[in-house]
Amino acid sequence: MSRSTGLLVFSLVMLAIHAGARQVDDDIRTEAVPAYVLDARRLRTAFLDLYGRPPFTDERRVWEGRGMSELLDVALRDPAFWQNWFDEELYYFLLIENFRPTSERVLSVPEALAEGGLCVRDALHRIVISASFDRRNPGNDTFVTVVMEQLLGLTVQKVPRELEIGKRLYDGGQGNFLGRAGSSQADVVRIAVEDRRMLQQFLKRGCGRILRREATGRELAQWSRRVGKSGQKYNDLLRDWFLSEDYDERLATRAAQPNRIFIRSLFVDLMDRLPGEDESRRMRNALDGLADAGPLRSVIARLLVDSGRAAIPEKANITDPTRWITSLFERYLGRAPLPEETAVFARAFHDPECRPATIVYALVSHPEYQTW
Amino acid sequence: MNEKRTAPDRRDVLRAGALGTATALASPVLARGGFENKTKHVILVAFAGGVRTRETLGTPENVPNLKRMSDEGVTYPRARTNNLGHFGATLSLFTGISEARGIRENTRGEDPTVFEYVRKDLALSSSEVWVSTSGGAQQSNYSASYHREYGPQYGANTLDGDGIFNAEFKSILDSLGRPREMKSRELELLEKMRASIGTGSEDQGVNTPETFAKVERYILDELKGGTADFRGTGSSDAKALRVARNLLPVFRPRLLGVVLRDADVAHRNFNAYVEVIRRNDAMLGELWAAVQSDPELAESTSIFVVPEFGRDADLNSRRGLDHGDGSDDLNYVPLVCWGPDFAGSRTVLEEVRTTDVCASVCGLLGAKARYARSKHLPRLMG
Repeated sequence: MSRSTGLLVFSLVMLAIHAGARQVDDDIRTEAVPAYVLDARRLRTAFLDLYGRPPFTDERRVWEGRGMSELLDVALRDPAFWQNWFDEELYYFLLIENFRPTSERVLSVPEALAEGGLCVRDALHRIVISASFDRRNPGNDTFVTVVMEQLLGLTVQKVPRELEIGKRLYDGGQGNFLGRAGSSQADVVRIAVEDRRMLQQFLKRGCGRILRREATGRELAQWSRRVGKSGQKYNDLLRDWFLSEDYDERLATRAAQPNRIFIRSLFVDLMDRLPGEDESRRMRNALDGLADAGPLRSVIARLLVDSGRAAIPEKANITDPTRWITSLFERYLGRAPLPEETAVFARAFHDPECRPATIVYALVSHPEYQTW
Repeated sequence: MNEKRTAPDRRDVLRAGALGTATALASPVLARGGFENKTKHVILVAFAGGVRTRETLGTPENVPNLKRMSDEGVTYPRARTNNLGHFGATLSLFTGISEARGIRENTRGEDPTVFEYVRKDLALSSSEVWVSTSGGAQQSNYSASYHREYGPQYGANTLDGDGIFNAEFKSILDSLGRPREMKSRELELLEKMRASIGTGSEDQGVNTPETFAKVERYILDELKGGTADFRGTGSSDAKALRVARNLLPVFRPRLLGVVLRDADVAHRNFNAYVEVIRRNDAMLGELWAAVQSDPELAESTSIFVVPEFGRDADLNSRRGLDHGDGSDDLNYVPLVCWGPDFAGSRTVLEEVRTTDVCASVCGLLGAKARYARSKHLPRLMG
């Protein structure tokens, strides 16, 4: 079974379970139009946020018109969601390329999180204690600095004494690092992970990524209480975020897509499959090296469109061009076309020199497609 | 080199301090006493990854090309730097401001970079200002800042040789085949459709449509070349220097930054660190030769080479070299400047800061590093 089919089956099973549970509620109250309905924009963006890719064709059919809450019920128990979370975290720590973890203990993190057997704090601990993190951050100064900066959001130059103590622990000496006793490199990590600032920093990042705004100190304190000391109720907070007015406001904004998301989107949109891990990694690395990835994104999009592997219908088989064009806008841009856009595209379609691939390429090479 | 220099009386004036640091801060131009500078192009090499003087100018056989450059140009053996992490310290070279940045921070800075100053003041297109990098995602942030008066519309094009020019990426692209040639009518329709999409209020990036197309062509051409063939220790840096060399004839950049980083292998392996330095010196020699063999560039290109910081004085327990002991080996690095306007065979023992490179490059090209806390390098001009 392919990865995409597996995900769809998982979604359908979870949805069926959820629908069964909802039946009880239906006996005592009337089901109205779901809140936060998954229209084209919300569906595409929610999938990009949750899974790091747009929905596959079959998933679109399943989820269009349903409620965001239902999608969250499924996604937050889905290993694919946690895999995306895991990949985002690895990227945050720049554990990519040769530094990507390979140990089973670290690679099993998404599965364990989906099953509820691991909380986010312990998941981060596994990542930071890994050999890959150690290799990425060699030497006492680099290692302790990165732990303090990335995990706790500290500026080490402002707390040079703590840095020195941390370095002593790293080298096997004893000391009171961040107010806790320790005597090893592992203690540096443990103490930092258990520090209350660790979760706050993690939630601050999550808020920026999902709600696209700075969290206030008060919110961070509130959210920290909400998720619990080890982040075991992080899922509840995620639900709050996705089902909030803040998320509605975020939907009204567009920001540049990270290269990883762009590559995954392009493959799903054009080929209805995810890129292979190697394809994804290589393409992302190439794009990451450019301050303006646009020219190379355009090259990759063109190659995919013309590869003969993209799911683009023959012109003769498109009986209603306007409808087809509208469906492309909804799918790729998460919105219906404006009347003037429809007019220009429809006119172009009827020109003998215009191929369906030309229309697809116009959309996926446009800067709007590269935002979310 | 020395034959190209201006009359000694001018030099004497300059030596007398006309371009002293106080004046430099007041005047944006670093000039040779009323003469127009010959420098029209600058290559700024961040010989980064943490490199000590001991393994470079302290051991000339490791760096024959840098040594020759030093012999022909101006050397500042005591360029003060700060251990701000590789990312922060390298960014400081470009912004002229020593600022703490997270080691793994992956975002642009707040202060304008030398690339933005030069592009804005000289009204250059993005294809005239480049940064060739070796450190992946993080280093593309050197292109531009978040500063409201500058930003990506004045940013440099960055290109990470290791990310793009590797055999695996090439093979993935090859597996997709070649794009179909579009006829002119189809291209016209494509452009009409693209132009009709959206509100037109999308963020302005580094490139205009013209430079976008030029960069796209360059990438496709480079992918057919041999840059992807470098492998082994130091190959990322070698690619960055090779890409820099290949950019010269195509774009003739007015300002070309090169950012290296492979020397950081020193944490675990001293010998590999020395190997990286030697390889980078050889590639630097290749870049220098490309400049010298081009009649126009040879007369008009200045080169600055400087590490972002050094390394510890003593080996660590793994017989490697970390960077965090606060020693002079860490805090002082050599800065080598070579070019048609500079003095020859001059060593300036006065302490300078590595961040002074920003103001000096700007001054040399006629731009002003308005927000930098950086001075013109003393006794640089010939």
